[in-house]
Amino acid sequence: MTASKNQHLAANPYRPWPTRITSIVDLTENEKLFELRIIDDEVRDTFRFDSGQFVEMSIFGVGEAPISISSAPSKRGFIELCVRKAGDVTGALHSKRCGDIIGIRGPFGRGFPIQEMKGHDVLLVAGGLGIAPLKSLINQIHDERHEFGKVTILYGARNPSEVLFRYQFDMWKHRDDFELILTVDEADDSWADEVGVVTKLFDKIEIDSARTYSAICGPPVMYRFVIDEMRKKGMDVDRIFVSFERRMKCGIGKCGHCGVGHQYTCIDGPVFSYWEAMNLQEAI
Amino acid sequence: MFFRVMDQSRLPDLVRGLAEEFEVVGPVAKDDRYVFGRIEDPADLELHYDTTLLPPKKLFFPPEERMMRFRVADNEVVDDEVYAGPRVLFGVHPCDINGLLLMDNVFMGDFEDPYYKARRENTVIVGVSCTPTDTCFCNAWGTDEVHWGFDIFLTDLGDRYFVSVRSVLGAELLDRHVETREIGDADTEAFQSASRKFKGSFTEELDTSQLPLLLDAKFDSPMWDELGDRCLSCGACSTVCPTCYCFDVVDRLEPDQKTGMRERRWDSCQFVEFAAVAHGENFRVSRASRVKYRYYHKQWGYLSKFERVLCVGCGRCERACLAKISPREVVKALETGGVQ
Ligand SMILES: Cc1cc2nc3c(=O)[nH]c(=O)nc-3n(C[C@H](O)[C@H](O)[C@H](O)COP(=O)(O)OP(=O)(O)OC[C@H]3O[C@@H](n4cnc5c(N)ncnc54)[C@H](O)[C@@H]3O)c2cc1C
Ligand code: FES
Repeated sequence: MTASKNQHLAANPYRPWPTRITSIVDLTENEKLFELRIIDDEVRDTFRFDSGQFVEMSIFGVGEAPISISSAPSKRGFIELCVRKAGDVTGALHSKRCGDIIGIRGPFGRGFPIQEMKGHDVLLVAGGLGIAPLKSLINQIHDERHEFGKVTILYGARNPSEVLFRYQFDMWKHRDDFELILTVDEADDSWADEVGVVTKLFDKIEIDSARTYSAICGPPVMYRFVIDEMRKKGMDVDRIFVSFERRMKCGIGKCGHCGVGHQYTCIDGPVFSYWEAMNLQEAI
Repeated sequence: MFFRVMDQSRLPDLVRGLAEEFEVVGPVAKDDRYVFGRIEDPADLELHYDTTLLPPKKLFFPPEERMMRFRVADNEVVDDEVYAGPRVLFGVHPCDINGLLLMDNVFMGDFEDPYYKARRENTVIVGVSCTPTDTCFCNAWGTDEVHWGFDIFLTDLGDRYFVSVRSVLGAELLDRHVETREIGDADTEAFQSASRKFKGSFTEELDTSQLPLLLDAKFDSPMWDELGDRCLSCGACSTVCPTCYCFDVVDRLEPDQKTGMRERRWDSCQFVEFAAVAHGENFRVSRASRVKYRYYHKQWGYLSKFERVLCVGCGRCERACLAKISPREVVKALETGGVQ
């Protein structure tokens, strides 16, 4: 979708569209999955996005927060946000009920290079809440499975109670068209998967580096270690993609808060290739 | 562009005439300095001012501004209109006109900012030539000259003005309100010699060779720690800067808690919480990293998008800084190594 096609966006890009919460799923103690439906028919029907893009979620009286879209671009009419309660705005969202109205603006930013990835093997690495933006990509790959080669997903969380979307992943573990490995830092009796940090999983996987694109999303500390493992496997720096989180206010390249190196996370990212990230001061 | 000549004695006619149609804002004296203020009487206009305390950005992007009024119950916008009355900004120096052009790239490029745009489109700009002061370094960036971004520009030739007319509206206003005449060869020569004199009166030529590259090459230089030690993180540099556009957004509820306003305010990358995110993470905790970021963004970040540095050499930040940090010093330190 181009911005100009959208009447509201062209008129005032700071104006959120009233959006109804149509479902809320408690994922963990601090994370919920919200399904949203933009109320205006025309805006809703023309809303298009790429996985990796985000919206500004707006609750008047409290403020706005940038949140990645978790659902697949192919899912029409609804979008999903997976939100951790982290402060004022996300806290206010968590106290909302099904049927309540909030606002969203967007979609903003540059997502994953899905067209480039097609026809290749894909390696996705998520840590903690980093699964939220990757979930959109995972769902898209799932929907268009024949377009991709081998698909490997590595996902690490602190403990079993923090593993998001477990119901879905438990089902996928039995499929042979996805290699999915879950790990936690601290296991409990219920845990039958791997234990240890996500980088340890690299010993367990085979990657044909010449054929593979990869995407990483997680807490800042994770990037360097995961990238080291990928480089050891021979992956090129311009085929590794990372998604950054920075403070944001406007989402559209005006307020200046999201600066990373010489760029703005909101319009130049949040997805950058590792090569681009290497050229951004203080990025990783 | 076409040109006219106007006797300086006619200036009050022009100002009075414009005031019949517009709110006129221009440089006026305030204590021993100047500010852009409303002109009620042409005699209040101080066209021989050095520089104003705040740049004209405040007229397009106010320090605090209401973006929209909202209703909480259904999360609806009640009103997001901008009031932007017709206005003339009279007597703007080339650096400040260039400052507005640099701001235009941000606010009027992709995702047009409707608030800024409304004011920009409703403001007539009348520029005026200036005399460099000892804190001016616009010559370093070429922002000592201005070729567009104004409706009318007055170059002072002593007894008369050499008037450059950029827009149709500028031509009409001139025609309507003041007597001018055609330029002759003598006027053009006087204009050229005034320009030469102006160019020759800067106190120094700043070496800016390879500046964007040096910012990367010397990213880890101890010069940033020295500057960080001095900086007070007060944000005065951003406030007085004609090209600093960063802002914060806050919601304010009315006492009834049912309606409220979303407002934005000038912000500064020098404040410690500027790059802080949830969970206690902060991408620029040290003052050194924040001072560095200000220069890095102005002289490389912005340039990487718009091919200009985000500085017009007005010298306001140097005057405002209690720690006496100036862009000239920073540029020299990058070019030669070490802070004075
Ligand atoms: C591109 C992007 C995608 C994101 N995707 C998700 C997601 O899918 N799920 C999720 O739970 N979280 C996501 N986040 C993080 C989320 O935006 C923050 O947790 C949230 O802004 C915190 O706001 P708050 O008001 O609840 O917290 P407070 O700490 O009260 O924050 C106050 C203000 O600080 C700013 N701020 C604080 N933390 C951040 C931050 N991390 N990023 C940007 N601005 C911040 C906001 O402007 C906010 O209004 C994402 C962040 C970015 C930049
Ligand atoms: S969030 Fe405002 S510039 Fe990026």
